[in-house]
Amino acid sequence: MSTKAIPGRAGPKGPTFAVLASNEVGLLLITVGAVIVFSYLAPGFDSPFNIYALTRVLAIDVVIGFSMMVVLVTGGLNLAVGAIGVSAVMVGGWAMQVAGLPIIVSALLALAFGAALGALNGILTVAMRVHSFVVTLATMSLFFGAMIVLTQAEAFNALPAEFVSLAKLKTWFFASSMLYASIVVGLLLWWLFHHTLIGRQILAAGANPSAARLSGVPVERTIVVCHGLSGALAAFAGLMLTARNGAALPSMAGQLGMDWLLPAFLAPVLGGTLLTGGTLSVAGTFLGAAMVTVLSNGLLQLQVGEFWVQAFLGVILLVAVVLDRLRAHVMAKRRVR
Amino acid sequence: MSATMHLLRTDWFGLLVAFAVGAVALGLAQPSFLSTYNLYVMLTAFSLSILIALSQMVIVAIGQLNLSVGAIGGLAAITFAGVMEVWSVPIPVAILIGLLVGVAGGTLNGVVTHVTGLNAFVVTLATLAIFKGTNIGITEAQPFYEIPDAVKSFGNARFGFFPYLLFVSGAIGIAVWVFMRRSVLGRQLLAVGGNLNAAKLSGIPVGRVVVAAHVLSGMLAAVAGMLAVARLQLGQPTIGDDWLIISFAAPVIGGAVLAGGHVSVAGTVLGVAIIMLINNALVLLNVDPYAVQLVLGALILAAVALSRFREPA
Repeated sequence: MSTKAIPGRAGPKGPTFAVLASNEVGLLLITVGAVIVFSYLAPGFDSPFNIYALTRVLAIDVVIGFSMMVVLVTGGLNLAVGAIGVSAVMVGGWAMQVAGLPIIVSALLALAFGAALGALNGILTVAMRVHSFVVTLATMSLFFGAMIVLTQAEAFNALPAEFVSLAKLKTWFFASSMLYASIVVGLLLWWLFHHTLIGRQILAAGANPSAARLSGVPVERTIVVCHGLSGALAAFAGLMLTARNGAALPSMAGQLGMDWLLPAFLAPVLGGTLLTGGTLSVAGTFLGAAMVTVLSNGLLQLQVGEFWVQAFLGVILLVAVVLDRLRAHVMAKRRVR
Repeated sequence: MSATMHLLRTDWFGLLVAFAVGAVALGLAQPSFLSTYNLYVMLTAFSLSILIALSQMVIVAIGQLNLSVGAIGGLAAITFAGVMEVWSVPIPVAILIGLLVGVAGGTLNGVVTHVTGLNAFVVTLATLAIFKGTNIGITEAQPFYEIPDAVKSFGNARFGFFPYLLFVSGAIGIAVWVFMRRSVLGRQLLAVGGNLNAAKLSGIPVGRVVVAAHVLSGMLAAVAGMLAVARLQLGQPTIGDDWLIISFAAPVIGGAVLAGGHVSVAGTVLGVAIIMLINNALVLLNVDPYAVQLVLGALILAAVALSRFREPA
């Protein structure tokens, strides 16, 4: 085998398994601790309405995180997640409102469109043999620009009531039904990466492309598949956000869709997915998003400067990546001994 | 090698031809292109964009990237405007404070990337959120309106079609050109970007060079932010929000290799000029102004594809 260890695949007794577990357990402890502290300090935090609002945000941020996670695993990244998400829901919004297609058909159309835009990123990355950074930087501008030109920056705000009501369902513990959709997506991803051939090929290609190629893994195809999957997940997040907003808004992810970048990187990076590729943690990404959502919601509830939340999230990301680096360093030393 | 071949091989010659052809064609198609006012408006945007592009270019030179260029520029802009409005700080001191914001931001980026060895992408994404978040935290998303008249009139001043702002960015552009070509540090930046290990083995203080590049990038972004305040006549918190694409597009069109080690100041400036020309053409020819985003994306892809074609891997 290659000397490059693949955490989580060294067997349940390997030292890497313990690290992965501790990463996720750590996130869970911080999140639970934060929930307890905020419930005590901020009276509104555990109100039914806030739980509902929080889980709606969480459901969307989890899927945005997944959308980035599936490209990080290839060692690449996707700056265009927001631009793809918005472009896809504008197609979906058009299909529902203008073409009058059934909701399910429109949603599938939006997902397929997102997947196609993502796959285009993958194909360009492979064909041009450059890092996906520059490809997705360009397509972020391209997709968003085309979307604005085609829609004239107009929203689709007369969506069918049944679609909008999907986001309003509450389930037990006042949680938004959208959270279950995100959990199902997470379970499917977990199954894909741990129990299918293509999933294992993706992990192998991400960890060491040349070794994978020599073992007969179609590395190029895994890259296109991952980017396509990322596009579809971005479209899914976009559909949930559209249902929540009640309209397909060109501005819902900010200028060029860049507002999604911070949540997209925070969740997987906090959850232990490495930027170098080859590893991922579906549960970690979920917990990473949960921690971020709880902390930012709690700070808003405490009313300690609503304008400072973004700066705070930036500090969390910086601290997280530095700590992760430190941990890798310590682990490497231990392994030598 | 003949002189013509030499010219053809430079990064900037093809761009200069493309720019000249484009400018002549636009002038013929739309005579208002050559009106004094249109040229002035174009050159004003050009002045700011040169600095934004150079701010990214010095980081591309060391083989990294800086997502926080706009966030540093925005934070410097509102600090510059804020200290003048709130504390009535004299203009030269305010400029100095704005520059210090750029130095501090760049130092943070440089030190963290160097010490941790982390990908500059994720570091500058985090600092982008920190700088932009601090900007929003300080301003609560409201602009500073009370800018001294001297700053305002400087932002509007022009000789015919030549904005005063271009004196500042032109001088800085020349300084960066000299720095990259003639100074030891400038050559060290390219050496670090070209081959990190070789640079280390040749005794180049890599850490110092990386931090210096980020500090320079931060200062260039800060100057761009302060010039934007002068041009807009207010300390707008959204300054810098739309800098990212152009900051990469211009150096890449100008022949920079994103892996590091090769950048061209002249190419970058011409890259900005071509983008400004396209932008202006879209406006004058009544095409949807938002189409510029689309065109910029396509241009980046084309430039990268072309560079792969010029030197196959």
